[in-house]
Amino acid sequence: MNDYEAVIGLETHIQLNTTTKIFCACKADSWFDPPNTNICPVCTGMPGVLPVLNKAAVEKGVVLAAAMHAELRPLSYFDRKNYFYPDLPKGYQISQYDQSLAFGGYLDLPVPAANGQPAYIRKVSIHKLHLEEDAGKTKNAGHERLIDFNRCGVPLVEMVTGPDLRSPDEAAQYLIRLRQLLRWLGVSEADMEKGHLRCDANVSIRPRGATYLNPKTEIKNVNSIEAVRSAIEKEIERQIREVEAGHRIEAWTLEWDEEAGVLRKMRSKETEADYRYFREPDLLPIRLDDAWKADILKALPELPLVRRQRFMNAYGLPEYDADILTSERNLSDYFESAVKAYGSDPKRVSNYLMNDVLRMLNETSKTADRLRLTPAYLAEIIKLADAGTVNTSTAKSLLQKVEESGMAPGEIVAAEGLAKVSDDSAIRAVCLEVLAESPKEVESYKAGKVTLIGWFVGQVMKKMRGKADPTLARTILEELLA
Amino acid sequence: MSDSIDRDTFDHLVGLAALELDQQQADYLLRELNNQLKAIRELAAIPLDESVPASLHGVPYASAVSPELRADVWQPHPNPEEIIAQAPDTRDGYIVVPDIPHTTLE
Amino acid sequence: MELCDIPAYELSLLLRQRQISAEEVTRACLERIAAVDGRSGALDAGSLTPEDEQKVHAFITITRERALNQARTVDQKLAAGEDPGLLAGIPFTTKDIFSVRGTPSTAASRILANYTAPYTATPVARMEAAGAVMLGKVNLDEFTYGSSNESTAFQPAPRNPWNPAHVPGGSSGGSASSVAAGEAALSLGTDTAGSIRQPAAFCGVVGVKPTYGRVSRYGLIAFGSSLDCPGPVARNVVDAALMLQTIAGADPRDSTAAKVPVPDYLAQLEGGVKGLRIGLSPDYFRIAFPDPQTGEYREQSLPMDIESPVLRAAEVLASLGAEIVEDVPMPNTRYGIPAYFVISRVEAASNLHRYDGVKYGYRTRQPIDDLTKLYRQTRNEGFGLQPKLRILMGMYVSAAQYSAQYYQRALRVRTLIRRDFEQAFDRSGKHRLDALLTPTTPTTAFKMGAVYGDSVLMQYADQLTVPANHAGIPGLSLPGGLDADRLPVGIQLLGPDFSEDVLLRIGRAYELATETEDWRKVKPMVLR
Ligand SMILES: [Zn+2]
Repeated sequence: MNDYEAVIGLETHIQLNTTTKIFCACKADSWFDPPNTNICPVCTGMPGVLPVLNKAAVEKGVVLAAAMHAELRPLSYFDRKNYFYPDLPKGYQISQYDQSLAFGGYLDLPVPAANGQPAYIRKVSIHKLHLEEDAGKTKNAGHERLIDFNRCGVPLVEMVTGPDLRSPDEAAQYLIRLRQLLRWLGVSEADMEKGHLRCDANVSIRPRGATYLNPKTEIKNVNSIEAVRSAIEKEIERQIREVEAGHRIEAWTLEWDEEAGVLRKMRSKETEADYRYFREPDLLPIRLDDAWKADILKALPELPLVRRQRFMNAYGLPEYDADILTSERNLSDYFESAVKAYGSDPKRVSNYLMNDVLRMLNETSKTADRLRLTPAYLAEIIKLADAGTVNTSTAKSLLQKVEESGMAPGEIVAAEGLAKVSDDSAIRAVCLEVLAESPKEVESYKAGKVTLIGWFVGQVMKKMRGKADPTLARTILEELLA
Repeated sequence: MSDSIDRDTFDHLVGLAALELDQQQADYLLRELNNQLKAIRELAAIPLDESVPASLHGVPYASAVSPELRADVWQPHPNPEEIIAQAPDTRDGYIVVPDIPHTTLE
Repeated sequence: MELCDIPAYELSLLLRQRQISAEEVTRACLERIAAVDGRSGALDAGSLTPEDEQKVHAFITITRERALNQARTVDQKLAAGEDPGLLAGIPFTTKDIFSVRGTPSTAASRILANYTAPYTATPVARMEAAGAVMLGKVNLDEFTYGSSNESTAFQPAPRNPWNPAHVPGGSSGGSASSVAAGEAALSLGTDTAGSIRQPAAFCGVVGVKPTYGRVSRYGLIAFGSSLDCPGPVARNVVDAALMLQTIAGADPRDSTAAKVPVPDYLAQLEGGVKGLRIGLSPDYFRIAFPDPQTGEYREQSLPMDIESPVLRAAEVLASLGAEIVEDVPMPNTRYGIPAYFVISRVEAASNLHRYDGVKYGYRTRQPIDDLTKLYRQTRNEGFGLQPKLRILMGMYVSAAQYSAQYYQRALRVRTLIRRDFEQAFDRSGKHRLDALLTPTTPTTAFKMGAVYGDSVLMQYADQLTVPANHAGIPGLSLPGGLDADRLPVGIQLLGPDFSEDVLLRIGRAYELATETEDWRKVKPMVLR
């Protein structure tokens, strides 16, 4: 491997999360529908039907293109890509060819440190970005294929990178960052298991340091981050074996069989490529005038990688924190609101978020914006802890209580009497009680098992329903047991 | 544009078109194709300067007369079963076709 | 006069006055069909009998019960004093290139012979919503690919009611012949290169090719998607206006159906032609076509029988106050056919991709275990020669290596053709025409078998009509007289985008002025 480097480009198909399909009024999402029920004459290519473009599909495409720093065309066209396939009912796919919605663009991909290599940024260029319709689904059943048209006409953006990626890991990182971006922008659910984000990989190898491109193979159907990594790894290994054995790499189309973990070569008949593109006469060009464009882009949020950098610069967060806090747009918005409400020390807010709030989100599978524990409440709880009004463990349990009840932290503290008890005599009385009730433990402690101090403290806390200042309780217990 | 379609090109076209012709049909179609090509050869002689753009439609579609794009509102088709009822072979709601064989790389 | 021979507008008055019922009208048409139509087109129809050769054969499917039910509904509405719609009780036929829910919608091809449409085309839906009664689906060239109807897979092919030894023209041959033979008052046809106007001319009826985008194409089984226009076939200009009124206008299901308001065609219909500028072009009085023997181009002037009715019409219109402008140059007219050979084939080949035996229509009955073989067998058995020819030509000229040379070039030639019209109609130009007056066809209806099989010569029958399809502009063909063999001659009016109202007005003025002429009293042979 060391003598070679891999040259990888990814073709991604991104399912836009519109309500309806791109050219008809069937709903876009039919994940739970029986086969061939979410269909109409248009998406099944019945004789005589015509496409009518969904405005929302264009708008989501524009948002994505802008986020990829691509240039938007004021006038773009749809074309027909002609080929026979049973899940393509019209015998052509309506797609965009030479005058697509946008062109150019890039993603600055942060590649984390690994195997002793430092972290770095890989600039991934975008060659093509266009709108098109999805095909249906084909299922193998012995010597037959079963066709389901439910997915026909779902809006897709096809986005093709330049041959800029250099390893299976980079390819995987690209997909991770793309998935993050799509969800961030709200243009796609980007669920790879449901095929919202699909990927074909173009792979070639060359001697390390060379600048020319060798013939590439195209791996179809690599539809999870892990699959991308392993399929590309396998293909790089295969190409190295071939080259070292003195064979030439041929421009095959391969299919990744996820279950078997093998690459299969597709029959050349299926991959013959003269699509005879021509302008779709049934559709007018998309006119993206300045007013419409401005209207669409006024909702374009700060992008995740930009925000990640800002969190590091402006809040002094470590990269690790910044990365996690910008993994998802709601979470990062939540963080910023909480920091604002708290007023100082973003790292302290980050710690609460990363330790406790994230766990809460995972356990409830909520997004941050759906929490009853609002950023303001979180800030209030941290302030209560800072002021010594509640101890740390009370503060943590308050998070849960606020989330469950929706009540303000201060109200809960007042209602349940959770304020920390720092009165020496009150705690001392309880400590004496605990020691009196636990002669065996006292004996063990005195015999040298001093680790039992934690247990005693716990008993005191339990009796005082968590309100005691644990440090004070410990000091008193140690004094009484001495 | 003196090209005419030879038998090899013709056979390639037939394959691309997903057709399969008997000899008699093939002879007739090849002859007619070449006759039509002669007729369209006239296009090559037409002086076309750079100022002549392609027209996708004869009628220009100014934005004022172009229909609006469709609003993203779900309107389910009332009778999808009538669509699938047209298919020659179905099973469990799926349309059935023969397979396309694959080969596995060792 | 029998009920079925009364034009639509007069029928609608009689119906509203309740002097006749819609059911009576429908039955009269069904009786006429029984009398003159002969057997309907069918697959594997066997050889023609002498009787077949005397019949019209306009239909593929007669929707008798559906029609009678629609007629009764109209009668009920009339009886209840409800508004039954603009075309209430008017019988019409639909070219079998339109989808109509629950009816076979065959495109006259074996590949769709067993296909029943699950939805209805917009123009048909609008006709029916206006109360019109659909008698059935009429024959055409397979997928509209022809100018004679002989290429239909559903034989016997339609014949010309004026002389059944002659073709009715095409591809809307069933439409024109059904209207000419009094089988229906109106018919919905389509025009891609002249497919409404040429058969209308051949059968002595009125045909309108509306502006591209004037009438929705939703449900029209596509041939050349950038050229196809649905439009009316009628017995006179008033009826054509009535029908266009019903079917025109934007449609949320067709992105190319323009957002242009539909004028009241009837209100302006008899406004006369005073002050209108009507042009004549020498380029429409000759045709250029390749010599069948040598392939060399020949230019030929049109026969007198074709030319003189047009010049006569010019005189008539001049006498009514129109200004006739002669020598309008339309130099790119001759490129219409070569450009059409390219554009329509590319679009047709793509439009025919969907017929693959997978989801509807014909699938080969041979046992097949490979999908590619299934496609090939199905398409080979299902398509006739004309679709195959168009598919192969379309494949060739749109191939990546030829596309610039042929297809891109043809689209630019279309621009030239369009410019001819823009200059002629330019309000501040030299000619400032409101309309161009031309012959519709270079010949009258030719004999069956005379041209069929020669795809090039057949196509040149469209030379005077196809420029309007390239340019998108509207065209109207109306009867202008009879030739020496007592076959109808058509005259054509072409106008600027969305000027159907003006064309209809000119046509109506001409029609009124010639109402009492002798040739108008001659009936088609099948009705004599
Ligand atoms: Zn649909």
